[in-house]
Amino acid sequence: MESLFYIAAVTALASTVLVVTGKNASHALIYLIVSLLSVAVIFFLLGAPFAAALEVVVYAGAIVVLFLFVVMMLNLGKGSVARESAWLRPSMWVLPSLLTVPLFLGLVYVLSGEPVQTGGVMVGPKAVGTQLFGPYLLAVELAGILLLAALVGAYHLGRRYLSERREEV
Amino acid sequence: MDALWLIPTFPLLGFLVLFLSQGKLPKIVVALVGAGSIGLAAIGTLVVGNAFLEAGAEPHSQLLWTWMRVGDFVPEIRLYLDGLALVMTGVITGVGFLIHVYATGYMWDDHEEPEGFSRFFAYMNLFVFAMLMLVLGDNLLVLFLGWEGVGLCSYLLIGFYHRNPDNGYAARKAFVVTRVGDTFMALGLFLLFRELGTMEIQASLAAANTAWPEGSTMATIIGLLFLGGAMGKSAQVPLQTWLPDAMAGPTPVSALIHAATMVTAGVYLIARMHDIYVISPEAQFWVAVTGLVTLFISSFTALVQTDIKRVLAFSTMSQIGYMIMALGVGAWSAAVFHLMTHAFFKALLFLASGSVILALHHEQNMFKMGGLWRKLPIPFVSMLVGSVALAALPLTSGFFSKDAIMLTAADNPSAGMVFWGGAAIAAFMTALYTTRMILLTFFGEEKTSAHDSSRWNMNGPLIILCGLALGGGWFGLGVVSGVLPDGGMTSHDHFSPIALVTMAIPLLGIVAGWFVFGTSRGDSIQLLGTEFAENVRRFWYSGWGFDWLYDRVVVVPFVALARMNKNDFVDLVFKVVASITRGVHHVLAVIQNGRLRWYAWNMALGLVLVFAVVMWEALG
Amino acid sequence: MNFALSIPLEHVFVLAVALFCVGLTGVLVRRNVMFVLMSLEVMMNACGLAFVAAGARWAQADGQIMFMFILALAAAEVAVALGIVLQLSRRFDSLDVDAADEMHS
Repeated sequence: MESLFYIAAVTALASTVLVVTGKNASHALIYLIVSLLSVAVIFFLLGAPFAAALEVVVYAGAIVVLFLFVVMMLNLGKGSVARESAWLRPSMWVLPSLLTVPLFLGLVYVLSGEPVQTGGVMVGPKAVGTQLFGPYLLAVELAGILLLAALVGAYHLGRRYLSERREEV
Repeated sequence: MDALWLIPTFPLLGFLVLFLSQGKLPKIVVALVGAGSIGLAAIGTLVVGNAFLEAGAEPHSQLLWTWMRVGDFVPEIRLYLDGLALVMTGVITGVGFLIHVYATGYMWDDHEEPEGFSRFFAYMNLFVFAMLMLVLGDNLLVLFLGWEGVGLCSYLLIGFYHRNPDNGYAARKAFVVTRVGDTFMALGLFLLFRELGTMEIQASLAAANTAWPEGSTMATIIGLLFLGGAMGKSAQVPLQTWLPDAMAGPTPVSALIHAATMVTAGVYLIARMHDIYVISPEAQFWVAVTGLVTLFISSFTALVQTDIKRVLAFSTMSQIGYMIMALGVGAWSAAVFHLMTHAFFKALLFLASGSVILALHHEQNMFKMGGLWRKLPIPFVSMLVGSVALAALPLTSGFFSKDAIMLTAADNPSAGMVFWGGAAIAAFMTALYTTRMILLTFFGEEKTSAHDSSRWNMNGPLIILCGLALGGGWFGLGVVSGVLPDGGMTSHDHFSPIALVTMAIPLLGIVAGWFVFGTSRGDSIQLLGTEFAENVRRFWYSGWGFDWLYDRVVVVPFVALARMNKNDFVDLVFKVVASITRGVHHVLAVIQNGRLRWYAWNMALGLVLVFAVVMWEALG
Repeated sequence: MNFALSIPLEHVFVLAVALFCVGLTGVLVRRNVMFVLMSLEVMMNACGLAFVAAGARWAQADGQIMFMFILALAAAEVAVALGIVLQLSRRFDSLDVDAADEMHS
């Protein structure tokens, strides 16, 4: 059953690469959903069903949907595809690769050694809940405030007449 | 006697009141405050002086406060009264008061600076305060404070009519030239402190007597440095060029500062530090030479001047030369005595000439005057009395002092007859130019119409000063006997041959002046008509070429250097620093191009580098 | 559904690292602001994966809790960021990240 992990890993990696190199925004978002779902599978395999559920419901189900809304609002159609390919010449990949490839290699080097096995024990939602309302209570409250701040900020930034007001003045 | 501190405080308060009121007080109040403060100081001097004499002329000092404490250096602000200080204070407050009263009349309707009445008296009071601190200070630092203070007030008052830039130049010239002297004096002070370890006058003189043997080099050097300071302040050769130009100030200023008080500060300094000169006869010799040269040169220059105030200025230079020479030949008391009598008659002369100038609507050229003896009686009599005293006719105050100087000079072992000869020639010239001045101003035909506009506050001081100029010689100055080395005025046989000749010289001068100027009514040197005489006249007129010399040697090179250094090369160092910073900024500003991806790339680069470093460390 | 496999930890981490690097490359390369944000999400997801794996290694809930907080963070960030994207598109009439370079020296 371990091979399931490697299959999901390959899927995640491949779809992520397709997201990053995609030209059509909506297609890239769908690939992103695929990537997120693969990672959710991996979470299940690691014995973290709660995290997996969260990944699907919140990440893929809310955040990416939010992206999709904005993409559709901005009407990124065929013209945008052409623009994206103009912006994505192969020569642009050189410098960033110069940075990320050494980073990748270095991190992999750090990770090399005697492989440690994961616990093989499932940590269910009950355990997570107990921890949340115990030691991590303060952090939960803070997260709540953070979300409130994001709510207010998003409301304010999204107002249509913010820029129109500037034109009036 | 503990009211001693009040004497300088009254003028200081007067200055503060007038300065802080910024000219908003009514004129009569300004006059009362300005002259009244000096009057109160004069009364204070009388009271304190009386107590002092009744206590047997014991030197008395009063500590005001300690200036600072820096290790062993603890200078105090302390006032010291002895005979010498008392004489000086009396002159400053007494003659000063009379001049201030005169000035309330002279400056009342001033056309050039109608709003300057309060400012004038503020400066004058500040000057009197500084001068009093100079003479009453027990500490050389306090003396130097007063020294610099009078220099400042001299600058402010010479340039009083500041709308004319020439007056500003004259004031600046006075300040700069005296500054040269001040630098010498400061060097002398530093050296004295380093050698003797104290700045207190009495303590340092005592220390000098024990530390330095007769003829010691250190004493000579310090004595010469102090002489340098005296040269600047007292307008002696070679730092005398500022005094004639200082006549640009109002006449009361010329009377107070440039005749009676500030220019005598150098004389006071040398008299005060007399022990140094007693220790070092060589320095004392140079003092005498300086005085001799000055009195000789300036007496000739005074003969060919056209401006009445310049005649008096060169005359002052000459008379102070007498005082300095007296100090140099050991006639200490005579020098101080002459200081006092000179204050009387020179102030009288200046104030009287002020009345004349005012009556002629600020006409100062003697060749445009004439025939005023009927129209301006009191100024005429005053100038006559003053001239008689200046020329040292027998029994006037000037006679007693000047003859004492000349006779003591004649007794000098090293070059007595040279000193006496030079002084005698100058005395002859003095009588000559004095007669010329009187004849040109008051006799002959009236070239400019005059109307007497003087009031009681101008004529009153004139009359009082007349009395002092005539009778001041009977004071005798016993008070300074305890202070100065010669123990009072040496008595001379007034009927020895040389004394009789000395007495006769001014009379000869007057007679000669009558013949030359009274009859032909002109500049006699011009009458000679030859070109040589004309060149001589021009040479004398320019003050023997000192201005020309200084201009060539000092001013022109300095101005050239200043022009070369227009782009200040010291500034260049700082400019280089600034331009390097700017250059680095321009280089670094390129990385702030406002692009998000560029910033992100740099952040990632930082991350990679930190990671690499950590890995390096971790792997050894 | 009560199973958990024993997967070698390093392999999970390598996957997380790979996803992270891909996301980083995407942030640096893409000019369209939407793609930049997507790449950012990818990076955060990779971090979350690493946390959950570490939690699974020790059989504790802390890893999942950290993942949850990262999720909250990502949600907040996306909400605000998309608001900014809307303003950007209205102001500069394009979604080019390089268009908003007015804060240069």
